[in-house]
Amino acid sequence: MSTFGGINTAYTGLVAARQGLEVVGQNIANANTEGYTRQRVTTSAVDAANRVGLIDSGARPGQGVSVDGIARLGSASLDAQVRGTAAVAGYSAVRANALSAVEASMKEPGENGLSAQLQEFWAGWSDVANAAGETTPAGVLLAQAGAVAAQISRGYQAVSTQWSSERGSVDTMVAEINGAAGQVAELNARIRQSVAGGGNANELIDQRSRLTTTLAALTGGIVNNRTDGTVDVLVGGNALVTGDTARPLVALGARTLEGPAGLTDPAGTAGPVRVEWADRTGAIPVDSGELAGALSLLAKTDAGGDGGALAETAAAYNSFATDLAAKVNAVYSTGTNSTLPGGAFFGSAGTGPAALRLTVVPTTTAQLTTGLTANGALDGSIADKIAQLGAGQAVDATGNPVRSPSADWSNVVTSLAVKTKNELRQASLADHTSTAAVNAQLSNSSVDLDEENVNLLMFQHAYQGAARVLTAVDEMLDTLINRTGLVGR
Amino acid sequence: MISRVTTQTQMRSAQTNLQANLARMAQLQEQATSLKAIARPSDDPARAADSLSVRAEQRAVTQYARNADNGGGWLTTAGTALSEATDLLNQVRDLTVQGANDGALSPLAKEAIAARLDGLSQNLLAQANAGYLGRSVFAGNSDAGVAFRADFTFTGTATASVDRRVGIDTTVRVDADGAAIFGSTAANPVSIFALIGTIADDLRTGTNVGAHLAAVDSRMKTVLTAQTDVGVRQAQIQKVGEALVQHKGNLEAQRAGIEDVDLGQAILDLKLQEVTYQAALSVTARVLQPTLMDFLR
Repeated sequence: MSTFGGINTAYTGLVAARQGLEVVGQNIANANTEGYTRQRVTTSAVDAANRVGLIDSGARPGQGVSVDGIARLGSASLDAQVRGTAAVAGYSAVRANALSAVEASMKEPGENGLSAQLQEFWAGWSDVANAAGETTPAGVLLAQAGAVAAQISRGYQAVSTQWSSERGSVDTMVAEINGAAGQVAELNARIRQSVAGGGNANELIDQRSRLTTTLAALTGGIVNNRTDGTVDVLVGGNALVTGDTARPLVALGARTLEGPAGLTDPAGTAGPVRVEWADRTGAIPVDSGELAGALSLLAKTDAGGDGGALAETAAAYNSFATDLAAKVNAVYSTGTNSTLPGGAFFGSAGTGPAALRLTVVPTTTAQLTTGLTANGALDGSIADKIAQLGAGQAVDATGNPVRSPSADWSNVVTSLAVKTKNELRQASLADHTSTAAVNAQLSNSSVDLDEENVNLLMFQHAYQGAARVLTAVDEMLDTLINRTGLVGR
Repeated sequence: MISRVTTQTQMRSAQTNLQANLARMAQLQEQATSLKAIARPSDDPARAADSLSVRAEQRAVTQYARNADNGGGWLTTAGTALSEATDLLNQVRDLTVQGANDGALSPLAKEAIAARLDGLSQNLLAQANAGYLGRSVFAGNSDAGVAFRADFTFTGTATASVDRRVGIDTTVRVDADGAAIFGSTAANPVSIFALIGTIADDLRTGTNVGAHLAAVDSRMKTVLTAQTDVGVRQAQIQKVGEALVQHKGNLEAQRAGIEDVDLGQAILDLKLQEVTYQAALSVTARVLQPTLMDFLR
């Protein structure tokens, strides 16, 4: 061992302590940076130099400390958990929000809902039965009927608007996914370069980890780590990102609920709403994440009533409108004492969804049928029968009871409420799981100021200690060089 | 896994807890201010369905009460008219008895009685045409405006009655058949107006009118029977009306039970939540303040 070996050993100590202090500084500086993962200097002891030549110089101490690198104290499994739970939470949050919005648009139960309006409508018929041929009750009834038709169409439009806004958000999400995928590919290239050159890519990895979490929340994308430091992101089994290339997605399909493919027609010109690879046709089976949530909401209706929630609700409005018109007309058309005997009460004008087309046919008191001419001009028996239809007491031509449209509507409201409640519960559960996963991740990777303070002290003392060693060696050499051989001088 | 607690996780959980507390507080505040237990159907779908059906029944009962009021008006009008008609018929009978005294009455006196009978006939016509809110109560569903025209022809249709719905499966007839009471029927072959006309004519021509007494009596019986019938129905509709008012109260209590929150409970919950929130705030403020930095000098 050379005379100056001790100085070098002390120097490595100084360097290591300084590096440690700098990393602590970086940690403290980023204590509140989102997505930052704490770092540590990894060091190892340098062993003694190998024996050279034949002369054994005996036992020798090690050569100091070597700074091996700066470790990023993340956990791959915790990160994967965060991504997985974020995908599930994203899926149910999108669905719960959309269903809540539709539910809120119904304004039930209360004075402003369709059920209250229907009650007013039935009561209007009762008033007409009390004073058949009078202008006031007839006018009130016609206004109430118009309000029922308007309320049905407003409800339908609220669903339709919700559908369009979800459709718009699919486009936004696809743009966001493509952007994030491009960034991940770029970061992959830089990280690979950095890692290959033996450099420190911790901050880049943090950035990429944030982006892959975003991608997972949006698409449920699965992240595979590769040995060269890059990651692959798979969506629906195919690679969205591999190495430094990203494959863009495109959103295709109907743009409105009423469009050819919105409600019922899967073979329409635009086809159902779907996401495809830009370079290959065929819908991608996205099964979790916000994108999948939005796509599931936008799906068309199916025979079992398990189709897209929005399309099903719109279909419920349509069938309610058709059903209400059919039931009222079946009774109404048997009446004769008006200028439109045997006519319909509810008509449908133009083309499009039934809920938007409902109109009231009679417009004047003279056109409003209230009863049978045989019973006198002012008979109110048909009006009473329609009021009874509202109360669920009507029977059809064969004597079977006819369900009240009010009860039908109550069913629509209740079944949507059950669906919404279910979604809300799932969303809240998924949110809890996701929060727990994020907490677990943070508790592993976040910076603790106390811990960093302790490290700061530790490295400070290590630095002081190394400096002290340096002083000691210096004094030793001073003794050797300047004071040796001066005895008796 | 042993979880590592860091400043950041502590901050985060403090934030989450405060947020949860505040959200619960907002929910309770909404409940306490609106006093509604279910703001939207998904809060409790079963209760929402109950609420919809109770509200429907409430509206229906309100309408039945309206119908009953309207029917009550019809029956009162008919009852009053029939009691007037009974009085008038009594007078007709008195005059007929008086006119039957052939020996004691001069032709002039008979003419005077006949003139009074003509007047009574017009009065009876007015009662037979009694109307409620523009509808003649003895004319059924006729739109002629009167039950009997000036020439005493009946305008109504015989078959149809006017009914008012006072319950989901109950209707009450609120008119009276003018043809049966005043017009010509099997029991009374000539109409009441024709009968009085005949008596007046007989008085003028000097024929004894005693023979018409039986017909007058029979007519009186018909009117009295009709009056009793109307009275019974009036009592029925009144009773139903009272029952409906009571039922309305019950339904309101049911609705409140389903939809409304108890104010005392709501305020108690709110206060309790307020205490929890304040505790959470003060604990958070204490826990988050110190780090090792504060103790290193």
